[in-house]
Amino acid sequence: MNRENKTKNIFSLSFIFDRIGIFLPVILLLVAGSMVSDKFFTAGNFLNILNAIALLGIVATGMAFVTHSGSMADLSIPSIMAFSGIITVAALPLGLFAAIILGICAGLAIGAMNGFVVGRLNANPILWTLAVAFFMEGFMRFTWSNNQVYPDIEPGTAGAAFINIFRINIGPVPLIVVVMLAMFVIGHLVLTRTRFGIESKLTGSSRPAAKTTGINVPRIVMMNFLAAALCASIGGIFITSMTKLGVFYLGTGYDFKAVTAVVIGGMMLSGGRGNMLGVFGGVMVIGLLTNIMTFIGINTFQQNIVTGGIFIAVVGFGQYHLRKRGKDYA
Amino acid sequence: MVSDSDNFGVALRMKGVSKRFPGTLAVDTVDFEAHVGEVHALMGENGAGKSTLMKILAGSFTDYTGSIYIGQKEVKLHSPAIAKANGIGMIYQELSLARPISIAENLLVGRLPRKNGFLIDQKKMIKQAVGLLKNVGLDIDPMQTVDRISQHQAQLVEIAKVLGSNPCVLVMDEPTSALSRQEVSLLFDIIRRLKNRGMTIIYISHHLSEIFEIADRVTVMRDGRKIDTKPISEVTPAKLVQMMVGQAIDKFYVQRKPTIGKTVLDVRSLTRKGFFHDISLQARKGEILGIAGLAGAGRTEMARSMCSLDPVDFGTVTIDGKELKNKSYAESMSKGLQYLSEDRKTDGLFLRLDVKQNIVSTLLKPHTHCGIYSSRHENSTARDMIDTLDIITSSVTEGVSNLSGGNQQKVLLGKWIAADPTVLILDEPSRGVDVKAKMKIHEAVMALADAGKTIILISSDLPELVGLSDRLLVMRNGHLIGEMQKKELSEESVLLAMNGDIDESGK
Repeated sequence: MNRENKTKNIFSLSFIFDRIGIFLPVILLLVAGSMVSDKFFTAGNFLNILNAIALLGIVATGMAFVTHSGSMADLSIPSIMAFSGIITVAALPLGLFAAIILGICAGLAIGAMNGFVVGRLNANPILWTLAVAFFMEGFMRFTWSNNQVYPDIEPGTAGAAFINIFRINIGPVPLIVVVMLAMFVIGHLVLTRTRFGIESKLTGSSRPAAKTTGINVPRIVMMNFLAAALCASIGGIFITSMTKLGVFYLGTGYDFKAVTAVVIGGMMLSGGRGNMLGVFGGVMVIGLLTNIMTFIGINTFQQNIVTGGIFIAVVGFGQYHLRKRGKDYA
Repeated sequence: MVSDSDNFGVALRMKGVSKRFPGTLAVDTVDFEAHVGEVHALMGENGAGKSTLMKILAGSFTDYTGSIYIGQKEVKLHSPAIAKANGIGMIYQELSLARPISIAENLLVGRLPRKNGFLIDQKKMIKQAVGLLKNVGLDIDPMQTVDRISQHQAQLVEIAKVLGSNPCVLVMDEPTSALSRQEVSLLFDIIRRLKNRGMTIIYISHHLSEIFEIADRVTVMRDGRKIDTKPISEVTPAKLVQMMVGQAIDKFYVQRKPTIGKTVLDVRSLTRKGFFHDISLQARKGEILGIAGLAGAGRTEMARSMCSLDPVDFGTVTIDGKELKNKSYAESMSKGLQYLSEDRKTDGLFLRLDVKQNIVSTLLKPHTHCGIYSSRHENSTARDMIDTLDIITSSVTEGVSNLSGGNQQKVLLGKWIAADPTVLILDEPSRGVDVKAKMKIHEAVMALADAGKTIILISSDLPELVGLSDRLLVMRNGHLIGEMQKKELSEESVLLAMNGDIDESGK
């Protein structure tokens, strides 16, 4: 035991950095934000920021499952979001609860297909989910004749309740923020405290080694894609409720933003590393950056350039760092 | 090229050569000298550093230290191309031929004859290829693809290919591992012919009998250092083994008095078409059952299928009276049949994780209740294994990739000991580890058997197989061809049996 404590002390600095690494930029951004505007450090603005990152946070939780278990990324997440939203709107006549269940099931169906093809048939996850996204876009545009799907929002109908989902507050906190925080907590517990979470980590570290350790790898891959689809469906329902209509392009951009959050949160694309706390930090960094850039008047396209640039820098630096330490067995 | 006149000159001299890998000094200030026109055997246990030394010669590393002379000239062998240009030819255990293309193209790759600038001159190519094949006594159509010829012919093609670049030093790393006895003697004829032409041949092999048949001098390495170089006439097999092991062999393998109980593992006509056929075997409580065979005999394939890692066509596996349904490896594991995989780097260890996480990776199920995993046992389990196996690590949270090969292998074994198997299949449990780690691993394996576990030992390391096995099954071309009892076991007898001489013994 003594030996362990000693090494922990020696490496305590890097140990701490490994743990809170992502919150360093968070703090820096908070300081930068306070300099940019005196309205930055207000409860209102923080709720704004949380509200703005909530959708991304929900989707990124799901993406983290896929990345952590070694399947890199699920690029079909935007189409899952749009599809579950459309199905929920279309099913509203059956009642709000049934519609939401159906919407989530629609998203899970895509996740199950991804999980089967990647886990059982060993398809490349990036290419496969990219193809699914392409297929689903065509499918949705064809089925709904390229139209948007509107809920009936007469007061008292399920549709009215539906568009309220995004707008409900629990106390002063919007429901979507509560959902996001709950999902991070649940996600964290699942990854660290359940057999499924540990087996996902092992699978993400090395699929062949996981197989010879008695782990049912195809099943683990499947469950992680289902987790991603579940989160994307919930995100899809919120975004549909926000825009008050279902349409094929609703989730556009969330694939890349979620991957960025996951990767700057310390989860390597090759799997098996990182944790949910880091992903939350990653989401915060993106949220704060966007908020600050909006404060100082940078437009959306320029913001995309910044986010993309950060992604490139983080991935490049991460790989370089690993190679220097000689730990890249990906 | 070398002329006949300086027949006793030095073809190759390595002085004070070292190569360090993270954590180990794989080659430690080695002086090595090979004469013109000799077959120089290089011997040593797995992990003694002989392959690394030869890789330095092949130009695989840019960061070795020391100096290398070829003829009288000092050379810096910092890339394979430089090594080749300086007359070093390498023939590895695994062939470097591209199977779907023709022999001629394989032979002449990189220097295919052209006409009109960029078209390949087919006629000239065939003519050159036939000439090269004649060097090794092969008379086959050079336009065939490589996958249509036998392993032995492919090996000769490989030699012809290397000879095509006119090397003055030819390194052969275990060239006979996949050859039959007749094929080996044909290969030796070729080696003698090359030697008489003044070529220097460095010959790596574990087979003592081959060394005494073909080599003029022998150099023994151990733990990265050169032990000695001797003319072959001045050594005996026992002496060589002692030089390699560092101590007398009977001391190395402690005599064990096994207490063997009832049959625990019962395999009946297990078959996977194209890999192994009609395998029936029984193993008993407390027994170490060795399985011998050449590379490609189907030992690993059989083991993997036995515990449902790979599919089975038909046949049954029964553990302690319970038949496996051959559904999943998880099922085999929970019934007590477990498998330590052959290659720790690709499918044994989680190289990105730490020692503790690796050791407890087989224990998720017993420590999970209602889906919730309890990690409370982890530190004590990992500590236990570190103490039992003398794993040298700074802490339980040290990254397993930072450990030396021997300690990594101990972690892999620890992972399975922790899982408390009934039958444990060990596939090359001490491959590529140093002698000390190997002894510790053997001790642990014997302790497992003494504790009433059944061990199936698959190994290409003959001393290990002979020293540990209570009984030995011999496998060849996917069939079990014989069984040997403890008292019949010797390196020579097992080697002969692996080569198929059990059923040919009448001759």
